[in-house]
Amino acid sequence: MERQFNAEIESLKLGEGEIFHGEGILAVTKALLQSGVSYVGGYQGAPVSHLLDVMVQARDYMDDLGVHVEACTNEASAAAMLGASINYPARGAVTWKSIVGTNVASDALTHVASAGVLGGALVVVGEDYGEGASVAQERTHAVALKSSMWMLDPRPNLATIVNMVERGFELSETSNTPVFMDLRIRACHVHGSFKASANRAPALSTRKLLADPAAFDYEHIPHPPATYRQEKLKMGVRLPAARKYIREHELNELFAGSESTVGIICQGGLYNNLLRALSLVGLADDFGSSRIPVLALNVVYPLVPEEISEFCAGKQAVLVVEEGQPEFIEQDISTLLRRADIQTRLHGKDFLMMAGEYTAEVIVHGLLRFLAAHAPQLDISAGARWTDAVNAARARAAGLLGAPLPPRPPNFCVGCPERPVFAAIKLVERDIGKRHISADIGCHSFATFAPFSLGNSILGYGMSLASGAGVAPMLAGRSLAIMGDGGFWHNGFLSGVASNQLNGGDKVLLIMKNGYTSATGTQDLVSSPRDGSAELVQEHSLVRADRTIENTLRGAGVKWLRNVYTYRVADMTKTLREAFTTDEPGLKVIVAEGECQLERQRRIRPVLARLLGSGARVVRTRFGVDDETCSGDHSCIRLSGCPSLTLKASSDPLKVDPVAHVNHSCVGCGLCGEVAHAAILCPSFYRAEVVQNPGAWDRLLARLRAGVIGWMQPA
Amino acid sequence: MKPTQRPISILIAALGGEGGGVLADWIIAAATAEDYPVQSTSIPGVAQRTGATTYYVEIYPLTNAQLGGQRPVMTLAPAPANIDVMLASELLETGRALANGFVTPERTTLIASTHRIYTVEEKIALGDGRFDSNRIMSAASALAKRAILTDFHKLAANTGAMINAALFGALAGSGTLPLPRAACEAAIRKAGKGADASLRGFALGYAVAEGKAVAEGKSIADGKAAATAGMIATGRVAAAANIRAVLDRVRRHFPADVHDMVERGVARVAEFQDADYAGLYLDRLEAIAKLEQSRPGAERWKLTSETARFLALWMSYEDVIRVADLKSRRSRFERVRSEVQAKPDEPVHIIEYLKPGVEEAAALLPPGLSRRLVAWTDKRGLTYKLNVGLHVNSSSVFGFLMLRSLAWLRPLRRMSARFAEEQALIERWLAAIAAAPEPELALEIALCGRLIKGYGDTNRRAKANFLRIFDTLVDGGDFAGAQARAKAVRAARVGALADPEGRGLETSLAAHGIAPLPPQPKIIQFMRRPGDGKKAA
Repeated sequence: MERQFNAEIESLKLGEGEIFHGEGILAVTKALLQSGVSYVGGYQGAPVSHLLDVMVQARDYMDDLGVHVEACTNEASAAAMLGASINYPARGAVTWKSIVGTNVASDALTHVASAGVLGGALVVVGEDYGEGASVAQERTHAVALKSSMWMLDPRPNLATIVNMVERGFELSETSNTPVFMDLRIRACHVHGSFKASANRAPALSTRKLLADPAAFDYEHIPHPPATYRQEKLKMGVRLPAARKYIREHELNELFAGSESTVGIICQGGLYNNLLRALSLVGLADDFGSSRIPVLALNVVYPLVPEEISEFCAGKQAVLVVEEGQPEFIEQDISTLLRRADIQTRLHGKDFLMMAGEYTAEVIVHGLLRFLAAHAPQLDISAGARWTDAVNAARARAAGLLGAPLPPRPPNFCVGCPERPVFAAIKLVERDIGKRHISADIGCHSFATFAPFSLGNSILGYGMSLASGAGVAPMLAGRSLAIMGDGGFWHNGFLSGVASNQLNGGDKVLLIMKNGYTSATGTQDLVSSPRDGSAELVQEHSLVRADRTIENTLRGAGVKWLRNVYTYRVADMTKTLREAFTTDEPGLKVIVAEGECQLERQRRIRPVLARLLGSGARVVRTRFGVDDETCSGDHSCIRLSGCPSLTLKASSDPLKVDPVAHVNHSCVGCGLCGEVAHAAILCPSFYRAEVVQNPGAWDRLLARLRAGVIGWMQPA
Repeated sequence: MKPTQRPISILIAALGGEGGGVLADWIIAAATAEDYPVQSTSIPGVAQRTGATTYYVEIYPLTNAQLGGQRPVMTLAPAPANIDVMLASELLETGRALANGFVTPERTTLIASTHRIYTVEEKIALGDGRFDSNRIMSAASALAKRAILTDFHKLAANTGAMINAALFGALAGSGTLPLPRAACEAAIRKAGKGADASLRGFALGYAVAEGKAVAEGKSIADGKAAATAGMIATGRVAAAANIRAVLDRVRRHFPADVHDMVERGVARVAEFQDADYAGLYLDRLEAIAKLEQSRPGAERWKLTSETARFLALWMSYEDVIRVADLKSRRSRFERVRSEVQAKPDEPVHIIEYLKPGVEEAAALLPPGLSRRLVAWTDKRGLTYKLNVGLHVNSSSVFGFLMLRSLAWLRPLRRMSARFAEEQALIERWLAAIAAAPEPELALEIALCGRLIKGYGDTNRRAKANFLRIFDTLVDGGDFAGAQARAKAVRAARVGALADPEGRGLETSLAAHGIAPLPPQPKIIQFMRRPGDGKKAA
């Protein structure tokens, strides 16, 4: 795994009254243990990866508590774990990145939501929306609505988040309904503190086993005719129970303000940004005291009609600050007000932008319009001055910079084993023309950025091969689907390979076998290399040893299967060309082997350091470019894009264009040399092998060579 | 004390893997130890894979004890024009912070590293796609309340630390935070791992912010004008007495403004072949200088100077002999050793990636033989297919001798087919410059010399672009005047450097009614339709 959580694991063990310092998502983890959770599952993905990662690494401590932790192969298997809470009074939590993970999970979620739960069931979703997000922009809120699952959106401070986890379980149990805990990216990564309570060993656990399974009860089966009753229970029994609990335990927070004619209702998660916006407008201080009353909804679904009516009644106008679209909460409030015949004017998306992240700046713009319309007596000139200052600063910067700055999207790491594959694809396309390429989720989706710009579509995690099913038969040239080993196990084998085999599809599938789910922090897969920590695999990749993917493919009837070491660009090019042009029918699978370089470096660095320290002979490989022979055309960079292959001003002042240059971050993977060879680029690349701790023979050879060469060598 | 303060907002712009998160953690640890309310957020996500990302920290400048029971509500995202300290670990990211309005003269102390990590977009340009660093530097100075700009990357690297330690030092030393130096250093120590190196980096950064260390200010390490010791200085060429005579000729026949450029050109050309060839270089250039003297352009001696540049580069075109020569020199061996940071006692093996083919061989043969060879291989479609991949260990005696043997072919170069071909094209170029009716057009044609570069495929593409421009805009085409023609040539040149596929060039030419070249034919392979393999459902 990419990160070690030793310190974080210790903070999970904090006892009553001790102060926890750390990240929001780890506070959630701690709160789960404080709530006496029996089982935890999930699928990694920013911004919630750490929840599961830390629990996986804290396996010993979880064992002590009796908590079962499962790193699931996809979100559907995680959501299905919640089935434990249908029949047994066991608390459970699952986590994933949303909206994408929720989509994958939604079949299981529908069924657990229909059956209802005895034990509290919490779904912690990282709402990947706004700056820093990496998925299609949608709201998880919609899923909560359609499945009648409650949704928490706590104020983004650790004490509130922890409290809402604990209340969330109670809410779930009281109303027999699974509950979403919606956390935005920054809330997951917010660093703060809270006063901890002691962890509770779960009542049902791996240490306190049940002798017998639950008695058969058809009412727990989401199957007709029970489903009709469950559908009625949702709105007739569970919803009122939930509303009662929310109101009685004051899960939503009312912050009074002196301006009683107007008010603001916000999602809890937006409270801090709203407060900063109010402060910029001159209507709040830094301690949460606002002149405008604020109702912060820590529970965004269901709303409690009485709370909304009480807040709005007597006010001239209320502004709903709700991120994302459509405006579910605003519509909900509108219905409630209409039914209660409360004549307060309701604003929201008419003053605030419909789509996109609600930063303080966005909220300020909305506030200025709202207050100008409904509270003209208030002095909001500070807000106007601030927006002017922002505009002026940006305009001045734009003028001084003179041109838009080039973007800097994420890219393949130095020495990434996936980069050579795309270099090879570019080279093959030069020969046989462009191909339709179905891309996938994972680090390899960075190939859709320059310098490769490869990939016609992305349909979801592990969906590349499936997404070629419709298009491949319409194309003269055979199409290519690319997926990672993460995607293969997440969904790709079933949705892609099995479906292709059933239908006899004639496509090329390239699987990046780098050994881990690298994009999410190099978590383990069923096909991850085992016990290789001490191994020093220089030439070949460590992932070569595991054949789970190959065996699975053969088992599914794949005949044409090739394993290629990714750094061999010429071999990869040849294999791709063969796959695209062979007469052999059926699926052609190329398994591109190359261990994730991040993991590889993490593994071999300490080994190398130890060897060096002990005086052993270690050869360090670095690549370089001769700047005297580099002509500054940068073809090599267009075929590689490695961060360590960069530019520098030519040492020859006659040359105006910068030359290519390999900087010190080079890990010696060899791609630049391979590409120079495969593409017949130029003779400027060299590989330098530095013999560290040279032996007697090394030194003798070096002296002899220096003597002979030096005698003939010009300056 | 009455809480009339406001939170101190610190925005950190960094690239994935630079330790921005650790920097935020140090700030939090130091602030927490000093009892100040502190909060940080970040959006790492996939940006951790070398993309641009930010970390945001707020510190309330009154301690929890001073605040009593009150606790500030701190926000999660930075607001523009509301930042007290902007830290940036790289110059372009500094520019991004400026563009987003995070740096304002009323409020923001800017602590930024002036080194560049080029974006892919900048790196893949066929020419020079780098964003102008000087613009960012001057914008930074103009927009910040106080700007602490230096190459923190280099500063840190010298101490074995990562850049985050040096930036943290500068932050602590800038006096913007209520955190004493000792608290910051304690935070680093507490974090463990690599603390000693980090503390050294911290100390240097601290000194920079205090103004004690010499900040590099405006000098940009890799600026475009970074002139290094030329070949003359190294003594590689000037040793031969007859070169001195040629260099004397430069002093006597050329204006002082272009001496530097022309001397470099002479040195390069002489190293490529010999003194006579350098003499030819000056003969060719003198004609251009005379032309410019009689008819000066807008910029003094620009035509002579730029022609001198590109003529020297073109006359010393890249061939096997030159590459073998450059790769087997002592200065090159030493440069490689220093680039890979080899210690004095560590042997270094240098392995060259060479892949010569028919083209390279044909280039060395006399024109007649060369034509016959290429005709023979062309007929069989082998011209670009017979390349042999070689890994030559030039630090071994055998590899070295192989390279030197090729280098020793230099006297025969004048008889080679490539030599004749290049000279003919050079003459065509020079003639067009001389024949241009106006100085602007002459200069634009001269600047087309920039297109000629590279090896193999790259060189073929470059020449094709060059000839395309010559055929359509220099020698052909109907234009209202030399000015219009100059403008068209400039646009076409820019277009040719826009993309390797020639789309930019063709788009530019299309503006003058020139029909685009037909696209390169591609092989389409038709495959048997699957269906037989389909299982019965």
